[in-house]
Amino acid sequence: MTLSASLNGAEQRRPSRLGRMLEDRLPYLIVAPAILILLLVGLFPLIYSLIVSFQRITMTENDTSFVGFLNYAELFRDARLWAALGHTAIITAIALPLELLIGFLMAQLFIDRMPGRQLFVALLVLPTVISPIVAGATWRLMFDIRFGPIGEILSFIAGEPVRILWTVNPAYVYPAIVICEVWQWSPFMFLLLLAALSNVDQSQLEAAEIDGASYLRVLRAIVLPAIAPVVAVACLIRGLDLVRIFDIIWALTEGGPGSRTETISLYTYVQGFSQFETSYTAAISFLVIALLTLITTLVLKRMELAR
Amino acid sequence: MKFRTILGAAAVLALAGASAPAADKDAADIAVDAAKKYAGTTISIVWEAGLQSLDPLNYSGPQWEKLTGIKVKVIEVPTDQMFTKIMQDFKSGAGAYDALNVIPSWMPDLARAGALEPLDKYVDKFGYRDELQDIAAAYRDNQMQYDGKIFGFPDDGDVMLLYYRKDIFEDPKVKEEFKAKFGYELAPPKDWKQFDEIGQFITDKMAPKVYGAGFFRTAPYPQYMFQERFRMEGGKFFNADTMKATVNGDVGLKVFKEMKAENKFMPPGVEQWNFVDNLAAFLQGTTAMTISWPPYGRWAAGYGSGEEALKWVPKSQVAGKVGYALTPLGRPELGVGFDLSVSATSKNKEAAYLFIQWLNSKKTSLERVQLPYTLRDPFRLSHYASEKYRGLWPDAPAYLDTIKTSGEKGLLDLSLLQQDKYDEAMTKAISSLWAGEDPKAILDRMAQQFDAITDKVGIDNQKAVYKVWAAKPGAYPQ
Repeated sequence: MTLSASLNGAEQRRPSRLGRMLEDRLPYLIVAPAILILLLVGLFPLIYSLIVSFQRITMTENDTSFVGFLNYAELFRDARLWAALGHTAIITAIALPLELLIGFLMAQLFIDRMPGRQLFVALLVLPTVISPIVAGATWRLMFDIRFGPIGEILSFIAGEPVRILWTVNPAYVYPAIVICEVWQWSPFMFLLLLAALSNVDQSQLEAAEIDGASYLRVLRAIVLPAIAPVVAVACLIRGLDLVRIFDIIWALTEGGPGSRTETISLYTYVQGFSQFETSYTAAISFLVIALLTLITTLVLKRMELAR
Repeated sequence: MKFRTILGAAAVLALAGASAPAADKDAADIAVDAAKKYAGTTISIVWEAGLQSLDPLNYSGPQWEKLTGIKVKVIEVPTDQMFTKIMQDFKSGAGAYDALNVIPSWMPDLARAGALEPLDKYVDKFGYRDELQDIAAAYRDNQMQYDGKIFGFPDDGDVMLLYYRKDIFEDPKVKEEFKAKFGYELAPPKDWKQFDEIGQFITDKMAPKVYGAGFFRTAPYPQYMFQERFRMEGGKFFNADTMKATVNGDVGLKVFKEMKAENKFMPPGVEQWNFVDNLAAFLQGTTAMTISWPPYGRWAAGYGSGEEALKWVPKSQVAGKVGYALTPLGRPELGVGFDLSVSATSKNKEAAYLFIQWLNSKKTSLERVQLPYTLRDPFRLSHYASEKYRGLWPDAPAYLDTIKTSGEKGLLDLSLLQQDKYDEAMTKAISSLWAGEDPKAILDRMAQQFDAITDKVGIDNQKAVYKVWAAKPGAYPQ
């Protein structure tokens, strides 16, 4: 083989300019359809909703003109909206720590091996697999003044008839919601925390025990730092769920009495599907998105700092 | 000349012969004959989900298909989503619905938006005007037109009736005791003072076995009672000149206070009662008086108790013991109701129209209001007078007479642009009332909400609609 023949062969093997271009962009071309679908499915509705939020669309009027920031300005004058955000904050602030505490205590109980542990864990997790609307309806029956076992139990304890209108009386309506919410979602916390506690370094725990450290000292110095990332993620997931709470309240109180337990999700639903304020509902949604993004960013930043 | 006379006479006879069947035909037959040209097509109709839709699913739909060859697709929609679905279909122009069930108080919004087909030309073309005169005036004059045009045929005689336990009210010992205490005969209450006295008396005497009365108290039902009582006590919803809400005056306060106080002689927990809770209590004999729509009366008499679809209705323990009367003050609310309409975006408007004419006709509707499993109530003069209906159970004549009188005297639901928002404000207010909030504060808030809604709709727009509504004979007691 001559030198020139060899060079010719090398030239032939070298890809053409088009080929090189294709080769360079092939990865992008491969993922492009998936990205396009994701954009269409995920981003398009979001952008469309954003456009709608600047319009005057209602179900009952034909005027769909652009109104600038009118809907957003309306948000600040809407007392019912801010009340709904307040109710959401109250429920979240009460239910989240309770779920965390109960989940942690349950996880502590089940961390040690015991007979029938797997069966009990499976049973404890059952509430989380029930649809929240069913859970709400079931608790509505439990609280019912005529048929509900809760009234019966309280009457038995008190030794006289106890008649509490759980879903009507303002003093009891939040406890009713929180009881139902905590009942359904504490097992979720329990599962996550049980997994986290199982991964705590046993050698550190044994060393602490040998050194005679108290339970609280072990908890503060070893256990909590070890499970902190899981706790933060669990709180973030449940916190976001609580901000979006809808089904349980819809089944229990429908936001009543009056609007006392109307959360932001309920209010958004009422505006969109009962009062047909399409553009205003879109504006509410973006307010909620903005608030949740802010909260999530702050929490994630704090988690990052903690790490 | 003779030949021409004979020819002329023959022509007249031939014409008379040809037109005779048409003259004999009723609106149902006319609709069937005209619809046969659409055989093989399918029309869709939006119907309230649940018991109501068993009418087109089990009875009228299959019957219509048998008569005309037109298939009927029933689109079941929960009541609270019907308006949305109808408007969504209209706005998208999809034309997915041909015929519609429409709650009369929605008519201003739907007609104004252009979602409903005006029906006058079809009514004339298919000779339906005469039979429309048979519809009770309360429904025909108030629930059929918007802006002078027919947009729907009233198809459900919804009206509130007072049901009471005859066996208790006619018990000589109870009567005597009552008269001795209050100085008048124990009888269905003529006003709310009497209602409260009778209710408290029975509760004091017979509770916990029987309470004086029970009502549905959860949304959306009590707002219809409020609307009725408020107007009967002299209240007006708005100042007609300014459109400022006037629900928070002395009348509103009186009605709210009385409504709240009445819970005390009703069974514990009545604040949580819905339609079925109240029905169950009355049918089981736990309450001596209640106010509700006409199906309560049929079910209390045990009518339709063997029906599979009515298995959820508790077995009546009070059959033969129930009396029917006008609600206190004598002008009951024509709560809710249904009209049959044609969608403006339908691709089969004439076929859809013919179907609703047939459904609504004297002949077909009489059968439909007797279906035990649906909730359509008598709404035609011929229904009230029907010998067949009057023979369905021993007290059916009294039942039909009371419905007829109630319908004649009935008060219309408030019907404005974006009425659902005013309804929601009333519903929320009443819910706050049960929770123990100060009635005056609740009413002030409700008035503020009314004003905010009116401002948003546009005061002049709303004023025009309110003026038309308020001028109707059933809007305010004269």
